[in-house]
Amino acid sequence: MRGASDLRKLAAMATAVLAALAAPLLFGTYGAYLCNLVLVNVVIAVGLNLLTGNAGQISLCNSSFVAIGAYVCTWLFTQQGLSFWLALPAGGAVAAAFGCLLALPAMRLSGFYLALATLGFLEITEVVIEQFPDITGGIRGMLAARPTLFGVTLATDRALYYTILPIVAVLVVVARNLLACDTGRAFNAIRVSPLAAQTLGISPARTKLIAFALAAFYAGIAGGLGAAVVGFIDPAEFGAGAALREVTFIVVGGLGSVAGSVIGAIVLTLLPELLRGVQEYADLVYAGLLLGFLMLLPQGLVRLPETLRRGRAPASPAGEPAAP
Amino acid sequence: MTFFALQDVSVRFGGVVAVADISLELAPGEIRGLIGPNGAGKTSLINVVSGMVAPSAGRIVLDDRDIAGQPAHRIAALGVGRTFQNVEIFADQTVLANVMTGLHRHLPHGFWSSALMLPGARRGETAARREAGELLAAFGLAGYRDALAGAVPFGILKRVDLARALAARPRLLLLDEPTSGMSETEAAAAIATARALARDRGITLIVVEHNMRVIMALADRLTVLDQGLKIAEGTPEEVQNDPRVIDAYLGSAP
Ligand SMILES: Nc1ncnc2c1ncn2[C@@H]1O[C@H](COP(=O)(O)OP(=O)(O)OP(=O)(O)O)[C@@H](O)[C@H]1O
Ligand SMILES: [Mg+2]
Repeated sequence: MRGASDLRKLAAMATAVLAALAAPLLFGTYGAYLCNLVLVNVVIAVGLNLLTGNAGQISLCNSSFVAIGAYVCTWLFTQQGLSFWLALPAGGAVAAAFGCLLALPAMRLSGFYLALATLGFLEITEVVIEQFPDITGGIRGMLAARPTLFGVTLATDRALYYTILPIVAVLVVVARNLLACDTGRAFNAIRVSPLAAQTLGISPARTKLIAFALAAFYAGIAGGLGAAVVGFIDPAEFGAGAALREVTFIVVGGLGSVAGSVIGAIVLTLLPELLRGVQEYADLVYAGLLLGFLMLLPQGLVRLPETLRRGRAPASPAGEPAAP
Repeated sequence: MTFFALQDVSVRFGGVVAVADISLELAPGEIRGLIGPNGAGKTSLINVVSGMVAPSAGRIVLDDRDIAGQPAHRIAALGVGRTFQNVEIFADQTVLANVMTGLHRHLPHGFWSSALMLPGARRGETAARREAGELLAAFGLAGYRDALAGAVPFGILKRVDLARALAARPRLLLLDEPTSGMSETEAAAAIATARALARDRGITLIVVEHNMRVIMALADRLTVLDQGLKIAEGTPEEVQNDPRVIDAYLGSAP
């Protein structure tokens, strides 16, 4: 039993790696561009899921951290002449610093009130972007540029894809590692029972701080990558709509699961493209599919195989283990 | 030097005085039974010591320092552990992960080592898994290791709660009705294990327990509460024959 599930995991992992390597080759230039957008959204989803799915902190301002990363990285790269590969982590670090700032009210708030506080942060970020047009370009946006690698500009989407894929892979693996260790257990502990967590010496405040900083860092990195992919920063991309869309990535994919984050980001990035055929009904169909996912797979797409298997075999009484 | 003492501690909830001017002192390594009828204030006393509620008056002394009103995770870090009357379990995690969470403060590897899964983190996690597994085995829970805690019966969860609290390596451990939901035999086995582990590691225990047979056999001394007041204290024999205690339990008090 154990061996079979390990084998299945290994097979799934190998398939994922092969798919990630082959994807930009299978479709045309636009396909490669979409693959890059998928990578950006995977980073966003993986970070946000640590915060919301694991640590249980609702955030409706994740797009603000994407914005901070995008502006800081692009500004350092295009205006200050810093290497893109230094500007990128700098953008992530600045976003993480603001994540820590947001963790301060989060230490005292939860649920609905936390959601409101994060919405407030989102509003403030939007205002700040508009008020500093010298740096951000204001509502007109900001031109970004393609990074270079060893003096060669990564002009094609494929070249960019294969350059940033390892970065994204590392971020995904780091999230998995953290969840496999004490950090992940502390995240889950403060979400499920802050009382029990405290009696084990886990500080909810410190744990929330780490979770907010991590989500903001991932979002910040995604922002820098996204600006490079698109070539332009449009401030309209960082509003409440975007923040909500990022939440749907992890809810549809599977809360608290790294694989779920990846799946949710892939599916919901590509879905609108597949819906182009239905033209003016695209939004409606998208919303309908979203509701369908949530109703049929409340645990997320990541649980789809299990759900199918359980559908075939008679349901066993809720995971009752063999007594010792 | 005082290892642990309460000095005139009170806990009020609005008009209700759950704990009224209680003083008591424990010797290191002592097993103290805490008994009393329903609503006597036993859980409130555990809550105030573990920092879940702040005392409205009094001092809580640990190692000669007043820890009253400190945040709960800080008190836990000072070596005070507890279990819960109605179990506070991490329901969507496995039983093993629940107990491993208890090792939070004792892992050699930190955030960065974990993030990169450096050899130190790998070794640390392996050791943590082994230590948690041994605790589970000690409580006869090896068969539940990989079960989701939310799918496990209440009596089993009480033992998981015990194992998890012990994983945190407390010096003072507060057990709130650790055997409720267990059969008489299960209760005896769980108590024997807890007692052996406590004696072995020099852990001081405060045990709230309704089963008189269990607590008489377990405790060195008993403290009896009624309506927030301490009405008796002494060895099990002394307390058993105290007329005030008999009154409180039979409900013939004025
Ligand atoms: N959070 C609270 N708010 C208000 N009143 C409370 C609270 N917690 C406890 N009380 C009250 O304090 C008194 C003592 O309750 P406590 O739970 O400490 O008793 P107990 O000895 O643990 O009882 P039991 O044997 O039923 O567990 C009760 O009257 C109870 O109603
Ligand atoms: Mg109680």
